[in-house]
Amino acid sequence: MYTLHAIPDFASLIVHLVLAELDVPHTLALHEMDDLQSPAYRAIHPFAKIPALETPDGPMFETGAILLYLAEKHGRLAPQVGDPARAAFLSWFIFTNHNLHTTMMQLIHPYRPGGEDAAPLITPVAHATLRTYYATLDAMVARENPAWLSPEAPSILSLYLAVIMRWTQAFAYDPALNIPVADYPALHAILASLEARPAVQRVAAIEGIGPTPFTKAA
Amino acid sequence: MYTLHYAPDNASIIIELVMQAAAIPYQTMLVDRATRAQNSPAYLALNPAGLIPTLITPHGPISETAAILLWLADTHHLGPTPSDPARVPFLKWLFFLSNTAHADLRQIFYPQLFVPATATPAHFALLTARMARHFALLDRAASQNPALFTPQGVLLPYIAALLRWSALYPTTAPRWLHLPDYPTLLPLLTQLETTPATRHIAATNGLGPMPFTAPTLPNPPEGSAQ
Repeated sequence: MYTLHAIPDFASLIVHLVLAELDVPHTLALHEMDDLQSPAYRAIHPFAKIPALETPDGPMFETGAILLYLAEKHGRLAPQVGDPARAAFLSWFIFTNHNLHTTMMQLIHPYRPGGEDAAPLITPVAHATLRTYYATLDAMVARENPAWLSPEAPSILSLYLAVIMRWTQAFAYDPALNIPVADYPALHAILASLEARPAVQRVAAIEGIGPTPFTKAA
Repeated sequence: MYTLHYAPDNASIIIELVMQAAAIPYQTMLVDRATRAQNSPAYLALNPAGLIPTLITPHGPISETAAILLWLADTHHLGPTPSDPARVPFLKWLFFLSNTAHADLRQIFYPQLFVPATATPAHFALLTARMARHFALLDRAASQNPALFTPQGVLLPYIAALLRWSALYPTTAPRWLHLPDYPTLLPLLTQLETTPATRHIAATNGLGPMPFTAPTLPNPPEGSAQ
């Protein structure tokens, strides 16, 4: 049994989708921004961010770590240790975690590191960088059609990417810099296939993110 | 035999520290940053983001430091396996190093990508305070889970490299790192930097005699750190 500490449509959404796809029992502990600093939550997450996951092996934080742990624990949604496909999968999974996720945050919350004045400087750079990253991923998928990033079956990477692309298409700090998913046909096909899945629809209803959360977010 | 595409004192030193300590055979190929070889078509074919390092394996190229570390740990048994309960803290701290600590350090090194010039001093104060807090968390984690933070594992070399770069860069900014604040990590750094494996890497990367406890700017025999 897992407990996911969550705020709707925060990064906990990615973990929520993975738990639903794995169809494993879990409880949502819903938070407000204001209560994250409580000593009880800090005991689970030392710098009071969302998400955290309580597991039978102890509490976890860091979205990427949680996703990989769940895929390993349940032997699904990612190439496992020893699978030759794991080398490329890990490269792109960490790429998404380390580069896509952090750059997405700059597009959506550019004021966090340096205040509102920073926004006009940061968001165009983040926008251009994200477009380069998406184009690189789209070309890779079109060329190699890997099983771990495919319309045929979900993975922790496709669900992670779907949520990042959800946010960058509709929630850029400057709406003129939103990035349409349709610009990346191979990725669009993956997102469209994911959002038709019953597990994704269930989570979308719980988190209130509409019936087309990945291709037509609003 | 692995091939590591490296540049001196880049994140490739973390991979080298791990492979040398585990006596994993590998050869190095210099990525010449002076000619921006990391953006050449040949390198981009291996590593589409143009980042250093890349490790060439029998299963193809792996990019991203944390991905390479995790793959090496699983392939050569350098960390807890997926069925070990210690996998939880292992993954948690590996991703914390990659996605929180390393990502914040990059903001300190390249503030022009994140804030206007007028906001740089405030940004520097905010981010360096955050880094100090990250290292304090890691220090506590190392005291609670000593088996995960040894010179033979993958976490300590990553921490050591981040501490080294925190002490050195950016060269024009004030010094802020205070190593004695991390009483568990400090003796581990001393232990790590005195192994024959580290001495070899320090020589080939030009890292100086005490690359972690008293770092100096690199003076590599080949290639360019920046």
